[in-house]
Amino acid sequence: MSTNTTSHPSSTGMGLRYSGAWLPAAIAAAGFLALPFGRPGRPFLTIDPDLYAWAIGHPLLWFVLVGALAALVISLLKLPTAPRGDLLIGAGTVGLGAGVLWFLLTATPFGMGALVAFAGLALVIGHALSESGRVQGDAFIATSILVVSLFVLLFIIYPLFMVMRSAVVVDGAFDLSQFRRTITHPLFFFLENPRSQIDEVGLTMRWGVVVGLVSAAWALFRRRSLPLVLARLVLGGIVGLVIGAMMYGRGALPTSLLTVAIVAPACTLLGLAFALLGQRSSFRPVRRSLDVISVLPIITPPFILAFAMIFLLGRRGIITHGLFDLSVNWIYGIPGVAIAQILAFTPIAYLLLRGSIASLNPALEEAAQTLGAGPWTTLKTITWPLVRPGLAAAFLLSMIESLADFGNPIILGGDRNFLATEVYLSLTGRYNPNEAASYGVVLLALVLLAFFVQRWWLGGGSFVTVTGKPSSGALAPIPRAVEVALTAVLLVWTVFVAALYASIVVGSFAQLWGVNYTFTIRHYQDFMRAGWPVFLYTARVAAISAVPAMLLGFLVAYLVSRHRFWGRRFVEFGSLLSFATPGTVMGVAYIFAFNTGPWLLTASATIIILALVFRNMPVAIRAAVAGLAQIDPSLEEASTMLRARSFTTLRRVLFPLLVNTLVTGLIFAFVSAMTAVSQVIFLVSPGNQLATVLLLGWVEQGQLGRAAAMGTILIVSMLLTILVVLALAQRISARVVRVES
Amino acid sequence: MARILLVLVAALALVAGSASAQRVNLLCSPDLAWCEALGPAFTEATGYDLEFIRVSSQDALARIRAEAANPVFDAWFGGTGDPHLIAMREGIAEMYIPTVWDDIIPELKAVINEEYIPLYAGAIGFVVNEEALGGAPLPRTWRDLTDPVYRGLIAMPDPTSSGTAYTTLATLIQIFGEDEAFEILEGIHMNIAQYTSSGAAPGQLAGRGEVAIAVQFMHDGVKFAAQGFPLTTYAPEEGVGYEIGGISLIANAPNREAAIAFIEWALTPEAQAIAGELGDSYQIQSNMNTEQHPLAPNFDEINLIEYDFDRWGDPEVRDQVLTRWLNDIFPIPR
Repeated sequence: MSTNTTSHPSSTGMGLRYSGAWLPAAIAAAGFLALPFGRPGRPFLTIDPDLYAWAIGHPLLWFVLVGALAALVISLLKLPTAPRGDLLIGAGTVGLGAGVLWFLLTATPFGMGALVAFAGLALVIGHALSESGRVQGDAFIATSILVVSLFVLLFIIYPLFMVMRSAVVVDGAFDLSQFRRTITHPLFFFLENPRSQIDEVGLTMRWGVVVGLVSAAWALFRRRSLPLVLARLVLGGIVGLVIGAMMYGRGALPTSLLTVAIVAPACTLLGLAFALLGQRSSFRPVRRSLDVISVLPIITPPFILAFAMIFLLGRRGIITHGLFDLSVNWIYGIPGVAIAQILAFTPIAYLLLRGSIASLNPALEEAAQTLGAGPWTTLKTITWPLVRPGLAAAFLLSMIESLADFGNPIILGGDRNFLATEVYLSLTGRYNPNEAASYGVVLLALVLLAFFVQRWWLGGGSFVTVTGKPSSGALAPIPRAVEVALTAVLLVWTVFVAALYASIVVGSFAQLWGVNYTFTIRHYQDFMRAGWPVFLYTARVAAISAVPAMLLGFLVAYLVSRHRFWGRRFVEFGSLLSFATPGTVMGVAYIFAFNTGPWLLTASATIIILALVFRNMPVAIRAAVAGLAQIDPSLEEASTMLRARSFTTLRRVLFPLLVNTLVTGLIFAFVSAMTAVSQVIFLVSPGNQLATVLLLGWVEQGQLGRAAAMGTILIVSMLLTILVVLALAQRISARVVRVES
Repeated sequence: MARILLVLVAALALVAGSASAQRVNLLCSPDLAWCEALGPAFTEATGYDLEFIRVSSQDALARIRAEAANPVFDAWFGGTGDPHLIAMREGIAEMYIPTVWDDIIPELKAVINEEYIPLYAGAIGFVVNEEALGGAPLPRTWRDLTDPVYRGLIAMPDPTSSGTAYTTLATLIQIFGEDEAFEILEGIHMNIAQYTSSGAAPGQLAGRGEVAIAVQFMHDGVKFAAQGFPLTTYAPEEGVGYEIGGISLIANAPNREAAIAFIEWALTPEAQAIAGELGDSYQIQSNMNTEQHPLAPNFDEINLIEYDFDRWGDPEVRDQVLTRWLNDIFPIPR
């Protein structure tokens, strides 16, 4: 990944003009004076005369105004740029610090005035950091870094800190016993089962030995050095032990790991297959239909898909019982959950990989083939190394999604327990936030491990294929045999998915899904009465959250992959955390963090939107990072050389090249916001009810017909949204390409 | 950048929620249909608005706890009794004596030591899909469930996550004594197709023929049968335990006055009749003047055990029972 740094000319000169910080400073001062600084309770827009800063009259508050006015005056003085920047940093920090301190001391909920004043002061500091030369880059970069870091701190790290605290702080004192109790509990993991006939520990050991020996033998065969062979022996042994523990152990940990071990490779491979087909199939309808088919499962609320699977594959399932006359319960447990997750997460892998495959420069493959390479060699030596970052991202994402998935295990898990559902169940079923937090810690540790393994696998290679000219040249067809095989996989997938969706639609029109198939529109009438307002509200909230999620994601991706700055790792890590944290833990974390004091936000739409923004932002980041990795930084350098400011470079150079990726990110943010459950289940409040939470209620209550009706309407409306937006994006992308060339 | 940020701030501020004064914010734990029917009737009777969120009683307790410093909700309607009792003992709910207190069925008040307001009562029982039994006889007793003919045909909620399952465990221990109860539980375990995480789920599985026998609250079985599932509901001969659903005032409720009006109203015979008429809910209502719905399981015909709510509602006892179940029953392969 490139770590190129752009430094702006203005930060080096002795400019005597006024500083751009005057505008935010003026906004800060105006906001401070014109809007109420605090608020009496939850409502934002109440104008309480007692809560204007000048009515409160606390000395600390005057420092806020002094800071803002000082910044205004300083920025208009004709001073050398660098020292003026330092002065502005001082003024801004005094104002911001005094205000924050006042809130911490009095625990008053913040008001609009404070919001505007603090935002203004943060912008002042951002400008100043750039002008003083303390942050390399222009005002836009410096401000972005500051704001993004603040967001990560406030909306990701702080809530997580609050919930982690409860894993190890019991009744106000540090106490590890709760954590220890959780991870030694049989619900979490146990291997030796005295009630079983087999010797689990022995079998696991055998796996460790066998895998260790095999991997060492392979290293020997490849004529590696002795230390490396020994390392392979140990590493293989560990992997073998883990495999054995997954197979013979019981409890949430091995269950979740085994599911991940099935789901993540399957999703990645299927995603790659579909991406290859979608881009390069010689059969047009395949390419056309792929976009629609592959996107279907992610627009579906997970409970619905899981239920449709029961009706197809359960003990009385249409396929298992009706077609094959079987009466089996195999679907409840790992097999059912794995199938449901593969259906649900392959499209995510597909969407990510499609970006990678689409931005491969066909000229490279043409060159290889001109030089006499066959399709196989081209695939192995050109295509594979280039899609590797995309593959790693897809693998990691499906892994995280599988680990954190809540909707499928809760319906199809049977009596196997999963880590993510245990978080929820220990919190709601066993009233134990400490235990829930401990499960959260374990999940986080697993995800971080995966993250570092991915890093190690990708190494530091460069995967630049875009050199300024948009892709041209004919796409190389994939080998015939491969294409036939892939198309067959797609066909099976399509038939199965079509059957699932058909059964949902049938269920929504049936008197009693699974028992009585008399036609009725009663469920739609029920939905219109009880669900429609909630549905509209959810769509509004999801749309509002998607835009900042996408913009922030793009910004973070750009900063992280194109700039070196103090705190870069922190931003990266924070956004990873926000995605990796299971939704239920994040939801409760938000309640812990935002229910008291200055940050009183619970029971509002704001907290739901914030949770969704920071939940979905990392997906946009991933997409944008993968896209950026394929764009040569020299493009931006050229733009900078021509004295374009970095905001201009971002807007005029990177944005057009990434339109497709970004629109994908936007749709994904919107759709996941519409279908999110686990992270908002604790945040809904009277008047702020969300469709999926209502749906879970209906499912739990056995109102499956109504749930299927809402599912059908969700699916259809989101499918339409995606089709329209994708079509628009393609037109924009095409126009951009025309203009640029 | 300044512009982007300001637009963002303004957008967030515009959609920020607000609560109006004359409104009850309700945590509602029983059937959704019941919750939905409450609002219009309450507004018509008192003029107050009502907004509710339906969450299970365990979720409700978790939320009230998490929000204790700054409550969002005013009242908590329904849901099994133990969490109400815990909320009362922790001081996050407040005991309010309604004016109809004397009309509440005295036995219900007595067995819970008048520690919270009883709203309804419901008993554990068997919910059976005869067709799915495949010729096996109807189970009549708890011991019948251990018969190998029912292998793979029984579903019950998971004791580690469901209050319903815990009530079942406590019932068995109170009837048979702890050791014999665990012997029976082991036998049932061998026949279980799956433990579900939600308390009402077994009846749905039985209704669709995924299993034949569900062990859960009888009023839920009656409800599923009323929806059209081929189910019969009855109590085993040795006797059954029961729950007493509660209604509680949240401590420091933001709209206390409206919340009290709601609790007063919800305990009237007219309000309680809504449960069966509109709410698909067939529990025994707590006001002795309420006309019980014909489908509601008749407690006079059920062998109810003398359930010790004080002892079995104690979190420590609960912990002991669940730990033993986890160590003795849960690992047995089947």
